[in-house]
Amino acid sequence: MRGLWFAALAILPFGAQAADDSDLDRIPQAPGEEQQQPASGNGDKLFLQNDFELDSVRTPIVAFPPPAPARWEERLFFDARVAWQLDRDTSLVYSGRFNLRAEDRLPFPDHENIRHDLREAYLDWQPDADTFFEVGRINLKSGVALGFNPTDFFKTRAVVEPLSADPSVLREDRLGTLLFMGQRVWEGGALTLAIAPKLYEPSPVYRNTNLPGFDPMFDRTNAADRVLAKVSFTLADDLAPELVTYYEGGRWHFGANLTRAVGQATVLYAEWAGGDRASLAFEALAYGRETGTIPFFAPPVIPASSARSFMNDLAIGASYTTGNEITFNLEYHYHEAGFSDADWHNWFGAGIGAPPVIAAELWYIRGYAAEQQEPLAQDTLFLRADAQDAFVKDLEITGFVNEDIRDGSALVQASADYYISRDWTVGVLADATLGGKHSDFGSLPGAASVLVTVTRYF
Amino acid sequence: MSRFANSLAVVILAAVCAIAQQACAEESAQEIVAKADTVRNPGQPFRNLTTLTDYRAGTAHDRSVLAVYSKLDPATRQFKNLVRYVDPPRDAGKMALLGDVLWFYDPASKDSVRISPQQRLTGNAAIGDVLTVNLAVDYTATIDGEETIEDAARAQRPCWHLDLKAATPSATYNRVEYWVEKGSFDPIKMKFYSDSGRLLKILYYRDFEQRLGGLRPQQAVIIDAVDSSAVTTVEFSDLQFRDIPDSWFQRDYLPHFKAD
Repeated sequence: MRGLWFAALAILPFGAQAADDSDLDRIPQAPGEEQQQPASGNGDKLFLQNDFELDSVRTPIVAFPPPAPARWEERLFFDARVAWQLDRDTSLVYSGRFNLRAEDRLPFPDHENIRHDLREAYLDWQPDADTFFEVGRINLKSGVALGFNPTDFFKTRAVVEPLSADPSVLREDRLGTLLFMGQRVWEGGALTLAIAPKLYEPSPVYRNTNLPGFDPMFDRTNAADRVLAKVSFTLADDLAPELVTYYEGGRWHFGANLTRAVGQATVLYAEWAGGDRASLAFEALAYGRETGTIPFFAPPVIPASSARSFMNDLAIGASYTTGNEITFNLEYHYHEAGFSDADWHNWFGAGIGAPPVIAAELWYIRGYAAEQQEPLAQDTLFLRADAQDAFVKDLEITGFVNEDIRDGSALVQASADYYISRDWTVGVLADATLGGKHSDFGSLPGAASVLVTVTRYF
Repeated sequence: MSRFANSLAVVILAAVCAIAQQACAEESAQEIVAKADTVRNPGQPFRNLTTLTDYRAGTAHDRSVLAVYSKLDPATRQFKNLVRYVDPPRDAGKMALLGDVLWFYDPASKDSVRISPQQRLTGNAAIGDVLTVNLAVDYTATIDGEETIEDAARAQRPCWHLDLKAATPSATYNRVEYWVEKGSFDPIKMKFYSDSGRLLKILYYRDFEQRLGGLRPQQAVIIDAVDSSAVTTVEFSDLQFRDIPDSWFQRDYLPHFKAD
């Protein structure tokens, strides 16, 4: 019997193994047959998107001034980000959005139905491989945190008609600043200098119902002389801090950010900025008087000290990615100039039962904070989760909670995007403000909203 | 010399020979993996277009295209990769910086987000990245034997059967079985295992052609061992040697990157 086994082995090739037919059978037999030629895209992005939003509003405990929040909004926009290479070293970049919009509080037809947002338009010159000069409207972003970026000094007044409260989406429709920027990048670091001149006097805070049609709104971004310088450098493996200094209105601000990986799945990050300033409430009221929204001699609706001192902003957080491709970000945000307990007490105390003119002024403070992209609260927790291919392939689900630690109220949002095909995406987004009538988010007039989107990419 | 001393000398000599033989065998296995690495990727900086096609139950379902710029880091002897998303259009212009420190950049928000090594392994960019890994750096190889196996085209290939164990924290998989053709050092087949020993993926290289100074595979077929209906083909095209400055691997460079 043993002899038969040896004979059988002898006629097999040396060391041969049985073919692993089960996996070979799964290999597509006509490689490349169903593929098109690879795209040679240059990074340009063009898409057409339709959004329809339904909003649920509540009657806030502090009367909200007219016009009331919209109950429905319809918006169709064409979004483009394109670059033209003018010669070997020079290119021209355009990024913008052309909107057709309607909502229950806007007349139709009206000039408000057609709008264009010029996000960026600048000339880029690269004299050598590592040096860049840019001039024009540029969206200059700084920072490493997700929910709040203290070192992102050019964020103020820059966001127009956001589709989502998600901070990462807010930045997608943000106006750049007219500036000159020079940057040198080398192995292990970079040095950046940006200078933005004052071209306009400060203008009143915009509402959704008084946005200009085709005006690029440089009054939002170039109402003060501003200078930003930042440097990043590698100190050691995985230790490359970025230091930022920023000048505006005769005052200097300083900032720093740092990231570090811990193990395979976690990244820790911290971002800090500090500078001489007054409280948010005082700055809002002062801005209202300066721009004529609030009568110059009107007494402040809440006590707001004009005293300036060095105030800190901080965002510290961590991201963690699970084995099944879900990434969580948890952050703590500190905004020293934000509303203190006393400010909240005064705000509600002055607002409940107040005449419309007082209530309008109180809401102006909150509108100012939103336009400045500053948290209203001093202490906030931010948790975000993002799941790729959630439950089924090509379904991305994202959600976040932004909680005011003082009163436990929160803004929550969840969205789902399904990539139907290479060119089409459908999505749904829902958000809600949770909390008691005397809380940060619970006192807002917007209770909840649902947004449905359809996008065609080109 | 006493009989005891003679015996001791023989034992020591035998032990030294055994250790030396083992060392030679291990060096040989590492050499095989290193030579196969040079077949998979050239030593000079290069770019390629990587086209990933997902198949579900044998039908092409999804396609994405990445431009991958690779440069060997002399300090780590691993490739640093800059991956730019070309297609589908919803992702056009996004970039992943996969070097010592990992960043993801989205031009829509002009935002760079630091990502973890775990995130490096997710999404399509991960496949383009993983395929440039120098296995000889991240793994310790031993020869399990010699076998003739069928390649992706069912041709018989006489191979070394190697067993690779993770040797560095940056190794993507805990264990890899690897078949390399004798003589040519062509990489033929790999099996990737999780920490728990579960088979995750089977990879075949195919369509070897003369490119960038060597005979190199133009396609990898990745068979999902967990989801029996999923197969991904990865096609490399438009390969070019290219000067890639080190500054490209800085996050501040990403907003300036221009496609070529």
